[in-house]
Amino acid sequence: MDKLYPRTREQTSANTQILPRIVKYSSFIIAPMTPLADDANMNGPDQSASILLIDDDRELSAMLSDFLSADRLRISACNSGEQGLLEFANSQFDLVILDIMMPGIGGLDVLRKIRQSSTTPVIMLTARGDDLDRIIGLEFGADDYLTKPFNPRELLARIKAILRRSKPQNGESRNLKLGDITLDSRTHRASVSATELALTGTEYEILRCLLETPGEVVSKENLSQRALGRRLLPYDRSVDTHISNLRGKLERAGNKNETIQNQRGVGYLLIPGS
Amino acid sequence: MHSLFLRFFLSFWLIIGIIISAAATAGFWYAEQVRESIEDFHLSDPLFEASAALDAGGPIALKEWLQDYEPARGITLFIIDEAGNDLINRSMSTWTERTYRRHRDHDKLRSRLSRRDEPQNLRRSRHLSQLIGGDGKTYTFYVSASRIPESIWGDSDVRLLLLIFALLVSGAVSYALASAISSPVRKLRIATVSLADGDLEIRVADSLGNRRDELGLLGRDFDTMATKLQGAAKRQTELSRNISHELRSPLARIRVAVELARRKAGDLSEFSRLDDEAERLDSLIGQILSYTKLEASTDRKFDVVDLGELIGEVVENVNYECKADAAKGVKVIAHTAQKIEIRGHPDALISAIENVMRNAVRHSPPNGEVRVAIKRGETNTTISVSDSGSGVRDDDLPRLFEPFYRTRESSESNSLDGTGLGLAIARRAIELHRGQICARNGAEGGLVVDISLPAS
Repeated sequence: MDKLYPRTREQTSANTQILPRIVKYSSFIIAPMTPLADDANMNGPDQSASILLIDDDRELSAMLSDFLSADRLRISACNSGEQGLLEFANSQFDLVILDIMMPGIGGLDVLRKIRQSSTTPVIMLTARGDDLDRIIGLEFGADDYLTKPFNPRELLARIKAILRRSKPQNGESRNLKLGDITLDSRTHRASVSATELALTGTEYEILRCLLETPGEVVSKENLSQRALGRRLLPYDRSVDTHISNLRGKLERAGNKNETIQNQRGVGYLLIPGS
Repeated sequence: MHSLFLRFFLSFWLIIGIIISAAATAGFWYAEQVRESIEDFHLSDPLFEASAALDAGGPIALKEWLQDYEPARGITLFIIDEAGNDLINRSMSTWTERTYRRHRDHDKLRSRLSRRDEPQNLRRSRHLSQLIGGDGKTYTFYVSASRIPESIWGDSDVRLLLLIFALLVSGAVSYALASAISSPVRKLRIATVSLADGDLEIRVADSLGNRRDELGLLGRDFDTMATKLQGAAKRQTELSRNISHELRSPLARIRVAVELARRKAGDLSEFSRLDDEAERLDSLIGQILSYTKLEASTDRKFDVVDLGELIGEVVENVNYECKADAAKGVKVIAHTAQKIEIRGHPDALISAIENVMRNAVRHSPPNGEVRVAIKRGETNTTISVSDSGSGVRDDDLPRLFEPFYRTRESSESNSLDGTGLGLAIARRAIELHRGQICARNGAEGGLVVDISLPAS
């Protein structure tokens, strides 16, 4: 993994201090991101979305399965990392919900194994109280995270946002190209020259947003809304982490001309190569 | 050498011993050389020759005789006239002249007449002999051995080289000894400072090498101590994590259960209340853990932080939270355009400033304003957060930063907001940065909290 993600590992080790990162235990009042009225959208193609839930808390898994099944999602619950990986290998899932703190194979290891072979969207359930854990999931390729204890409606909203995103949308069939970077909207694949990029859904969406308007700043709010399907939260570093992963992947694929630049306090832009 | 004591003792003993014996040997040897050369030299013969020359040809013949005279090796024969000058104008070295004068002054009193068997014009004393010319002028003989060391030691270049050699050798020995002591002590000192600043990974035994003296032992003891500290810190972190996990797991279940119940029973207001309480409990757990961590922390591995940007971010986020409580409509206003770089933990600083700001927002009346002012001084930067509330009683002011302290007003209002730890966390985080935090009642009412942080 170190080889695959050198850039992000660096950032992580810089944060590995004796004092575990001091955390903002604020009681953010989480505004409903996606109104529940959005449920209507689910009646469409997502009706039979299947979800793998990996969490060692059996009672919580059972209740969550109950809760999510009511929204026409098919839930397979596993109570250990080993079991979860087995299940993941055996069946096809549209999304994985993964608890980070599990005995045996931990959530991060499961995520790593999943990412070796697949770009299936993953939502991490992390322990609030450890910023490092929270963000590290994203660095290893998770699409989004929620801190436990979470509002189950919030989880539902995020699941829907990601599922909606990973379905190819109508009217979006044009391929995008800038310099060496090509985006195939039909297959949801991106490549640099001939090298295919193994992008997660979130990274793909972010790259697409940036490619649509090269040289123009896309706000973090906008990126969060389009790639994660949710509003930007206070101290939300998700977009930045995904961008950092994306930069790493582009660089390793040999892209040198185009650079993703950070416009402090505004957002990100893709600068076309000269 | 396995003991510092032995090393010191032997080194100093050796050095002092070498110096003493070298000095004594050189001194004895020199004295011996002088004695031998003087003993070998018998003044009588030249004296008789000189006396004859003086008798025969006066001072001029004496001068000629002296010019032709070749004394034994290492000996100089001066003949000094009444004016105190050498007959053939050789100059005396300061040291020789001083010795000569001492002998002359000493001998004057005891000068005696010459013996019968000696020439008439010769007068002898113990150290100096005199010839008396026909005109009554005296010529004093002085034998100097001062040329002996010069002939042995050679010229002044060689002496300079010897001096440099001596300095180099003694310098090298002293340097080796001093660095053998000071370099491990310096390493230990640097390690101790790092340890105090929170780097529990630091170990010194490897850099001290295989020393088996007291310093080596001290190094290993230091490492043992660091390992124990690291273990304790790790256990503390793990314990916090486990507490966090164990307390929050039931909360997570409660929240899902509440949602399931809401579906079955309809959207009762009690469910929202349950949700709120679960959230409050969650944030209280978080605050307690955060406070304990800060209390135990000595980690001073600081990054460079732009205070202006950091405060801007906090203001933005607190305003975001304020918007969620639209009914209250409190706003945080800050001018944070300037760039102020200090050294610190960004997370701890954010936590401190955020807690102070939240406290101000909480105690502001509806549609009130919270003002944030940054004043940059020479030695420190002061951040003042003032609310538009009613302030607190003066006797409450110093106690505001105690954990779970409630002012009379807040107890009466029975407000459920806040965990009671916010300001305590802020104080601890600021103290970690060697800063100060204090509260006062503003001139226009309302509470002002001043955070003062040292400049980098």
